[in-house]
Amino acid sequence: MSDVTATEKPDENPILWVARPMATAARQFAKSLFRPSTIVYPYERLEDPKFRDRLDVASGKPFGVGQVWDNYRGVHALNIATCISCNLCAFSCPDVCIDMVTTAGSDPKHPKKCPQIDYGKCSYCGFCSDACPEGCLTMTTRYELSVSKRSDMIYPPERLFEVFRSKLPMNPIRLARPENEDAILLDPPLCIGCNACARDCPTQCITMLDVPKPEAKPGEKLPKRIWKEPVVNDSDCVRCGTCISVCPKECLFWGTRK
Amino acid sequence: MSEMWINMGPQHPMTHGLWNLRVRIEGEVILDVDPEMGYLHRGIEKISEDRHYNEVITLMDRTCYVAGLAWEHLYMLAAEEALHIRPPERAQYLRVLCEEFQRIASHLMWYAAFVQDIGLMSPFLYGMRDRDLILDLFQSYTGARMTYEYMRAGGVRNDLPPGFTDRARKVLDWLLPRFHEYDQLCLGSDIFHKRCDGLGKLSAEECIRHGVTGPMLRSAGRKRDLRRDRPYAVYDQLDFEVAVADGADVTGRYLVRMEEMRQSVRILYQVLDWLDRHPGPVMADQLPRWLGAPYAPVGREGYLLKRNYPKGVGFSAIEEPHGEALAYVVNEGGEHPYRVKFRSPVFANLAASRHYLVGYRVADIPPIMGSVDVCVGEVDR
Repeated sequence: MSDVTATEKPDENPILWVARPMATAARQFAKSLFRPSTIVYPYERLEDPKFRDRLDVASGKPFGVGQVWDNYRGVHALNIATCISCNLCAFSCPDVCIDMVTTAGSDPKHPKKCPQIDYGKCSYCGFCSDACPEGCLTMTTRYELSVSKRSDMIYPPERLFEVFRSKLPMNPIRLARPENEDAILLDPPLCIGCNACARDCPTQCITMLDVPKPEAKPGEKLPKRIWKEPVVNDSDCVRCGTCISVCPKECLFWGTRK
Repeated sequence: MSEMWINMGPQHPMTHGLWNLRVRIEGEVILDVDPEMGYLHRGIEKISEDRHYNEVITLMDRTCYVAGLAWEHLYMLAAEEALHIRPPERAQYLRVLCEEFQRIASHLMWYAAFVQDIGLMSPFLYGMRDRDLILDLFQSYTGARMTYEYMRAGGVRNDLPPGFTDRARKVLDWLLPRFHEYDQLCLGSDIFHKRCDGLGKLSAEECIRHGVTGPMLRSAGRKRDLRRDRPYAVYDQLDFEVAVADGADVTGRYLVRMEEMRQSVRILYQVLDWLDRHPGPVMADQLPRWLGAPYAPVGREGYLLKRNYPKGVGFSAIEEPHGEALAYVVNEGGEHPYRVKFRSPVFANLAASRHYLVGYRVADIPPIMGSVDVCVGEVDR
């Protein structure tokens, strides 16, 4: 098989040199009359059940077009109810096409922020749905996106929620978390107890606990601060890093808990 | 007759992409050629320095748009060496599965474009039709047809869906007789031989001198294949032959690619059997937190500076469908690669075009350049 050296022509009737390829092509043509390899797109669709077994070559059925499999990465579906506004989808986006915007109808005092996706930029890589800790941002099999206005390419959270409610097949793949994940650690001397991390934590896993106020020695001035420190509940934490971003003193950091 | 320069490109049916071949001719004879590249330069190496290790793979799919998974494999081999990660064996087999399917798909794409260059229309349709079966397979486990984003540092994104190996075997069973049909259509046709035999000769010594690799080198009779000579992933456990031909011309390159597809099918049968017998994890269990697939790092300078991950340098070389591709990744301890460098095989093959085009006729340029298998995304990066 491997020693392909036959570049010289075999000695045969020159008529065959034309007739043989023509015969092959004619055979293919006759087959394609009964087993077309294409579909008539707007009228037929790959999702139609009749195309499910088109790949079944061995059984002699028509072949050529496959189907849209469930893990196809198309338009996103967002379940607003379970979104915790952790920002991980926006951070993980290589194209920076996800913005966290206020959801319509949420309490103006405590606005709920959910992802808004600009499909003019999106590359459908799926990093956002991989990053979502709650599984509320997934990708569906919807692939038709043509719009007449460019601003229609931007899907606000409500529109993504509509996709979710349309019950399209969703990407079934859920990634397992690595076991040796780092935790949020605190550098205690820097902390001023300002409560910013606990206030902004999307999972409410940070509690501010009292720390004892030390006795001031004569001549020593105690730092001006609130005598509280954050304690992170590691099992609830989704490692989004919001607390690190909002900390004014940069006293929170990633590390391995001993 | 006086000499003149003509531009073949940037928009020309022969170029298969955006590049320009300037040709100096006298009458019909080519006196000199000057390939101009760079129309599709996107600065992928520079953009990579600003992205996390896993995010670079979105660029790899766009580096070479007909062999995206091979480039993902190339980058991930280098990045994992730089990050001191070892993927599990099943993930390595899955990557070989990707790469070999991609090789067949890429060669079928080449076949379709090449036969159209020399004026045969129906084989073009057959090549595209059979490539679509492989794209269907890709879609069923990576989730996309062209831009896969399937590999991650430490393994691959997901395991195969149920029933995949049976479907893949059916496609392979379908493909093998098709290769025979292609040979009947091309090698059995006098038109093909009249247009391709003895064109674009480049001897093995000249290939090596100009850095020409891949099917062009093997068509000159040199058995050089990185899968065999410098085995990466699990290629040392697989049984296959290196396809060679001794024509050093366009027909030789056709024969080499056809035989490579048959050998890829042979490898794929072995890989599918192995995958059936050995279930297991597809992701390494010891990963830095910021490389764990579900997580995204947080961009803040103070946080970046506190990271202290072991430094390292990674180098990888794979036999891409077009030739030998190399990658070099420097890890300086941050979450972005400090420097990424790629070596594109097609760039070298194109740059040597003066040595296999001069002396032939203008009408010979489409078959000769078609046999090089130009992928401009990879040339310009």
